[in-house]
Amino acid sequence: MKAPILLLALLLAAPLAAKEELVTLPGRDSVQLTIYNSEDLTLVRERRTLSFKQGSNRLQFSWANTLIDPTSVELQPVGDTAKAAIEIADTSYPAESHEMLIWTVSCKTAGAHVVEISYFTSGISWQAEYTGVVNANEDSMTLTAYVTVTNRSGEEYENAQVRLVVGTINLVEKIVNLATPRYPTPPAMPAPAAPSEEWEDDLRGMDEPNADSAAEDGMIRPKEIKKSGLSEYYIFTVDGRETIPNQWSKRLRSFSVEGVSLKTAYTLKPRDFGPAFTKVLEFKNDEEHKLGNEPLPDGLIRLYKDQGMGRLGYMGALASKYIPKGDEVKINVGPDAECTRTERRLSLKKKDLSFRDGWLVGWTTVEEFELEVKNFRGRAVEVEIHRSMAGNFDFESTDPFEKEDAATRKIRFRLDAGVARKFRFTVTTRHGTNAR
Amino acid sequence: MNKRLMLSLAFAAGIGSMIGFFNPVPAQARIKLATLPDREAVVVRFDNPNVVMVEEERTISLQKGVNNVDFSWAGTQIDKGSIVFRPADAAAKVEILSTSYPPGEAALTWQISAAEAMSVKFRLSYLMANIQRETDYRMLVSKDEQTCSFKHYFKIRNWSGGRFATADFVTRDGKKFEKGLENGEAKRVLVNTWDKVKLTKEYVYDITRNGEGKVMTDYVLKNAKEIGLGAIPLEYGKVRIYQDDGNGTTAFTGEDWGRFTPIGDDMRLNIGIAQDIKIEMKKMVNDVQNRRGNVYDTDEVDEYEIKNFKDTDAVVTLVLRVDGEWEMKADTSGHESFERIDNETIKFKVKAPAKGTPVKLKFHYQKKNVW
Repeated sequence: MKAPILLLALLLAAPLAAKEELVTLPGRDSVQLTIYNSEDLTLVRERRTLSFKQGSNRLQFSWANTLIDPTSVELQPVGDTAKAAIEIADTSYPAESHEMLIWTVSCKTAGAHVVEISYFTSGISWQAEYTGVVNANEDSMTLTAYVTVTNRSGEEYENAQVRLVVGTINLVEKIVNLATPRYPTPPAMPAPAAPSEEWEDDLRGMDEPNADSAAEDGMIRPKEIKKSGLSEYYIFTVDGRETIPNQWSKRLRSFSVEGVSLKTAYTLKPRDFGPAFTKVLEFKNDEEHKLGNEPLPDGLIRLYKDQGMGRLGYMGALASKYIPKGDEVKINVGPDAECTRTERRLSLKKKDLSFRDGWLVGWTTVEEFELEVKNFRGRAVEVEIHRSMAGNFDFESTDPFEKEDAATRKIRFRLDAGVARKFRFTVTTRHGTNAR
Repeated sequence: MNKRLMLSLAFAAGIGSMIGFFNPVPAQARIKLATLPDREAVVVRFDNPNVVMVEEERTISLQKGVNNVDFSWAGTQIDKGSIVFRPADAAAKVEILSTSYPPGEAALTWQISAAEAMSVKFRLSYLMANIQRETDYRMLVSKDEQTCSFKHYFKIRNWSGGRFATADFVTRDGKKFEKGLENGEAKRVLVNTWDKVKLTKEYVYDITRNGEGKVMTDYVLKNAKEIGLGAIPLEYGKVRIYQDDGNGTTAFTGEDWGRFTPIGDDMRLNIGIAQDIKIEMKKMVNDVQNRRGNVYDTDEVDEYEIKNFKDTDAVVTLVLRVDGEWEMKADTSGHESFERIDNETIKFKVKAPAKGTPVKLKFHYQKKNVW
């Protein structure tokens, strides 16, 4: 077992000039980590039981080789007895160390009291990840969400209650900058742990679910991650206690939902999906899709296709942004030879030429295009083409289309199995003085 | 209750992936390789055009309660985020509780809970780098150039650091073949053969393909059932073309890159230059008309003289291009048929009689609104 890096010591009352003497080294009774994913920030709350004597007590707290923000460290008595008995007289930051502070605590009643020490640290992060297993028809999937917590804080928090905050908070200074002294000592970042031959030692710290939590069938289930809303944020609370040794990551299942219905749309939308005509799978984070209990924090969504007999093939991945409840998700799984698109310019004509002083100053072009989409698949597919034009133009077609924005028209249709469809449109563009 | 076992996967010693259990041991005394479950049913999938997915099965003996199982893959490039681990039988009474990643190691540990002591087959899927794939084709054309036999080969090269004692390799179109593949080894496998595929031979004049104005000999294969193909989209790959010489042997007649060809599209393969067909182009008329300020029209006649020195008649395709706004004039002559492919491109078919008798294509067009 490693020595903890965070040290808390009660100091014997001594003349100020004298060197403090360490009396006790109380361990943590409990610790709670609230980890934010939008910033490199974790709020640590730890409780310790300390023995105080009547009168003035000096309490030293030091955090060498961690990434704790000294400006955030606070001490609070816990419980009515402690609150009545003790009071923080002052906090002093000794000149000789940037990784230490001393609280002067005055105590009315001698005895053991519970205190809570809270502070911000950087170096602990969490990340959402999703795995979708899509069925053979590509109309449904099993979506499993995970959260991975990574501890690079320099400190090991044993048996911690872990809470994960989803949301974007405002910070005016980065915690990692506050944690590393600007002067005069060089920043003491935690040294990366050397690849360990013996991680058995660290495994001891991995949270061990105990048999008491087993269900009636003797099975121990993955921990539940409870979700609740708080102001603009969501808090995911991991059931039970977790230990994540320094430099380790741990992935836990957040939820798993079968039968999330999927829509396949072959899409050309350069702004979102690049220049290729590509296969896009769509679902919504709502009840209709058996989701919608909570937002989906940003993270990588990986899709696999069920190839039969439980075998998987890889479809593609999307680095997804935060998906609020009710919002839709579109995953580009790449171009697919089974549905192809070609576009040809059939004709170009110029008209309405206008001149000034013998020079051409305005003209209008009329271009006719033919779009052909072929579906080689054994099932109908949705097709969505976003066609952008430049300049002052009119778009005309006898086929249905929608205006997406000033420069873009959206053509949408359903294409039956094994069928090709042609879509013709005319773009009239006014140039020079013809533009209006 | 906790068991720690470590399993080594059957990759080469010292490198490759390993699964391990730990037996209950005192701290520091880590026991490696307590049991060695063999990899079963390894499948290497190439169905995604960009990545290679490996899937394997392992039977792991679990004890009742929580088991820690290690998986490590030193020396191979497995995308750890892509790892999907699950029981092969979805109804198996096991749960994967968590996955832990140690620092600085290509490894992870699963916590698996089991309702009772049992052996469970697990399936493990992951993306693996440095397994290359390549498609190539061999075409054996009949003496009369009417049909061919078209063979599709799939070549894999393994630089991944792992070795596959035996595995099913699955191509993009679902063809499966079983092979062993050592690290550093490459294998080429015949995956499809289509016989008596109907072939079209074209003589093509296209200045954008051959700047010297030479006539190219193309074979055109429509990837469709009616000519004997059309079973799968044809991957991009090199096509080597041989022809039956009528004497029981074959001659190599050229090669070309075959582009990715979806079902219904043409694969066009250039086998070389048709030196016995010559085409000479002359601009016979190039007049400016209808001048308005700095804008004008042009009247142009391009004349192509085609000579076929072969012993038999030939149909030559001329692919011609005119930019901008233009229209063809009615007195264009000397062709069997034409097709305006798009605004810029027009394709003429000209029948060229044998033995060098010249034939002329007159292409008369007006460019409009030029400036």
